[in-house]
Amino acid sequence: MSAVELTFTVNGRPRVVEIDPAETLLGVLRDRLGLTGTKEGCNEGECGACTVLVDGLPVDSCIYAAAATAGRRVETAEGLTHDGLGRELQAAFVAAGGVQCGFCTPGFITTLVAVLREDDKPSEEDVRTALAGNICRCTGYSQILDAVAATISGRNER
Amino acid sequence: MTVIGERVPRSDGQTKVSGEAIYGVDYAEPGMLWGALLRSPVSAGRITRLDTTAAAAMPGVHAVLTAADAPDVHAGWVLRDQRLFATDAVRYEGQPIAAVAADTLAQARAAAAAIVLEIEPLPAVVDLVRAMAPDSPLVHPGWESYVPAAGPDFPRRGNIAAECIADPPGVDEAFARAHRVISDEFVAQRQYQAYIEPKSAVGIFRDGRYTVHTAHQFPYNVRDRVSQFLDVRPSAVRVVGHTIGGGFGAKLDASLEPYAALLSKVVGGSAVKLVNTRTEDLLTCPCRENALTRLRSAVDADGNILARELEVIADNGAYSGEMPWLASIALHCARGVYRCGPTRVVSRLMYTNTAPTGAFRGVNGTYLYHAVERHMDHIATELGLDRRDYRLQQLITDGAEMPNGQVLADAGILREGFDAVESVAPWAELQAGRRPYRGIGIGAAWWVTNPMPGTAVVKLHEDGTVAVITAATDNGSGAVSMGVTQIVAERLGIPPTDVFVTMPDTDVAGFDAGSQGSRTTRIVGKASQLAADEVVEKLRGVAAGLLEAAADDLEVADGTVRVKGVPGNSIPIAEVAVAATNTVGPVQGTGSFVTPFPDFNPGCATGLMFPSFPTPTYHVHLAEVEIDPVTGNVRVLRYVVAQEVGRVISPDGTYGQVMGGVTQGIGYALHESLRIGEDGRYRERTLESYRLPLATDIPRVEFVPLEHPDPDGPFGAKGVAESPVLLPAAVIANAVSDAIGAPLNHIPIIPEDVLAAIQGSAGDVRSDEEVAP
Repeated sequence: MSAVELTFTVNGRPRVVEIDPAETLLGVLRDRLGLTGTKEGCNEGECGACTVLVDGLPVDSCIYAAAATAGRRVETAEGLTHDGLGRELQAAFVAAGGVQCGFCTPGFITTLVAVLREDDKPSEEDVRTALAGNICRCTGYSQILDAVAATISGRNER
Repeated sequence: MTVIGERVPRSDGQTKVSGEAIYGVDYAEPGMLWGALLRSPVSAGRITRLDTTAAAAMPGVHAVLTAADAPDVHAGWVLRDQRLFATDAVRYEGQPIAAVAADTLAQARAAAAAIVLEIEPLPAVVDLVRAMAPDSPLVHPGWESYVPAAGPDFPRRGNIAAECIADPPGVDEAFARAHRVISDEFVAQRQYQAYIEPKSAVGIFRDGRYTVHTAHQFPYNVRDRVSQFLDVRPSAVRVVGHTIGGGFGAKLDASLEPYAALLSKVVGGSAVKLVNTRTEDLLTCPCRENALTRLRSAVDADGNILARELEVIADNGAYSGEMPWLASIALHCARGVYRCGPTRVVSRLMYTNTAPTGAFRGVNGTYLYHAVERHMDHIATELGLDRRDYRLQQLITDGAEMPNGQVLADAGILREGFDAVESVAPWAELQAGRRPYRGIGIGAAWWVTNPMPGTAVVKLHEDGTVAVITAATDNGSGAVSMGVTQIVAERLGIPPTDVFVTMPDTDVAGFDAGSQGSRTTRIVGKASQLAADEVVEKLRGVAAGLLEAAADDLEVADGTVRVKGVPGNSIPIAEVAVAATNTVGPVQGTGSFVTPFPDFNPGCATGLMFPSFPTPTYHVHLAEVEIDPVTGNVRVLRYVVAQEVGRVISPDGTYGQVMGGVTQGIGYALHESLRIGEDGRYRERTLESYRLPLATDIPRVEFVPLEHPDPDGPFGAKGVAESPVLLPAAVIANAVSDAIGAPLNHIPIIPEDVLAAIQGSAGDVRSDEEVAP
């Protein structure tokens, strides 16, 4: 397959990369841009470890065509370190014990940034439902929910 | 100020949440090649043609290896029954037959797919009972030629990979005079560890030695396995650990590492990386074994158990891994935690043409406790006794002697556990509040803290911070990033943020038995505490001169060395460190620790390879469930755990292990299952069909820690992480059976089975009329 040029924004920076037309967004992020914070757990859109935001919406980057992001904004875990809400969630995950092995964590935080940007006070049930596409094998989810609750209440205090 | 028992953020937390942490799958070397394996597509057969010519000529390919290119040796953790590549016979789907190294992963996989492979299929040995029959085909016709990796051989023959038998006197006599004999049979399926990071490895052959980069629970075991397979001495292999994306027991033995190492050697030293696809990972993972358990109890009119027989037949898969060591766990679980007369135990591990099974959190215990606790419910129900009262009546107490002769001095903690659960979820209230299709279940267990050795060096920097050099792995539990870190910080009176623990490197750190059996906080924590003690002694010695005081009058606290009772007369640790470096030399301490096996009766059984349970802990669980009578779905409404933990070092870490372990147990009870077809192949092949617990499935676990500090443990710590998975299948099965009024003895309890049970026992299901007004 002949290479094509992809122009998009990754974590606020304009990027131009040569890609194969069939390449996944996950492959481009990890292998071409070295953004290994986005993880491959299953390569079939089941586990959510590869979740990134495309124009603010969470997608499974392992089954998302990189070419479809042309001209669009992509945010990954690395980028969310420089986002106010992303940073709050990251700190809350560490403080609440929401991280164990951590392999799923970037995907969880990415999904949650999208959820909380949309609705800054979701119920726990809404959060559970929103997280049904992200699998954590370590925590049993409770301390992740605690981290979300702490983030919500922290935001409401200000 | 103490940091023990305090909420301390894990030291690797920020790098994990930000995506900076380098996991095994993220690790790369300059000029690295990629590898791929050709794996057997069938479970049993004979290789009739294997031609790598075309594959070797494909673009980007550097090497294609088969059995002919590997040393002619057998390897294995307990029994040397494996070869690196299949030679003639293939014995399970997924067994490696050839390996490729190429410039890119796509090229490597394409070349592996282009290898010409023809296999004459043979009937697969799958059924555990039929595998025992004298006319069954043998999975290993040459089983007699295999030798143990260490020590004397153990009971095994034909398809029986290991056997443990206890046959004390008086069993048959007790059955002959029993008021009732209660019998049950239980079936448990395989469970996949399903860590989210698939296995990977990078191998490098350089300067005549192999270096392997891997994210692994037990780096020293990888060293040993690579050395066996590649026929070099262990010190010719260096294993470097990286952040691990979950393991739960599946990353305790080598997997891709020896292939990566050998490929690197053959291609002339370039690094070679292999990574499993999710399907490869699932098909070849040493998952929790399926098992058939039969229980018979002879009881008197009061429910006293006069004698018991337990027979368990467990699936070893095609090769042995760690499993033969674990067969004798059946002996330790056969009575559960209840009084019982002479107990006959027959535990057999069967070779089959399926993927080798292995360790998964709560090894063997999950289905053994499921069987024992379902059986206790059955006895109570038969005799018309309340299920909780009956357990309390039969509960073992301080000084109880277990079937292996081990005496449990502190078994009375179990009653405290029942009381703690009662305080959170009173049994009578739950009974009174019963509604249709709701049920409750309760159960209890005892368990081991893995005793195997560990060591640590605590090295003091001249700025007053310390490094802890150890081959221990934090598999995510926080045992290193919180537990060991807190223990060293506490001992030295410095903040946990001033303690840096290295990643494992077998060239640097001494032997460590890996992240298994809840051992790290206790064993490595204790070794680190001893190492820190040595640092403290050296600091006091040097500071004595600086403070013009006797060393015995000094203490190390609050970042200083100071005269006891004279807080003003102190000197910062950093200054003492600098002074020490320039006078007596740099300060470091070393500690090593291993827990001895408790006394047992060696004559109690044959094949007693896991003779007793060191550092026992005690556990009581309760579940309340609700069944949807239309769909058959089971929902866990409440889950309560009372667990003896020695002492809580990290409350977040402790709760995280309980919550996470129970969640894996709920999945095991209700839906997680690798089903084996008659052809020996798994039905489930991806995470789409292998369903894992989701955020919408699991209630918050209500947890009561019971603290009984162990004088030998670091600040009293015992094992915590493994045991929460032991009882969910038991208590959920009891709760579902209670809700339906019919026994459900197979796990997982899938909706079809629930519906069939409801239809089969329509008269028994509690209806609205039966509910007290």
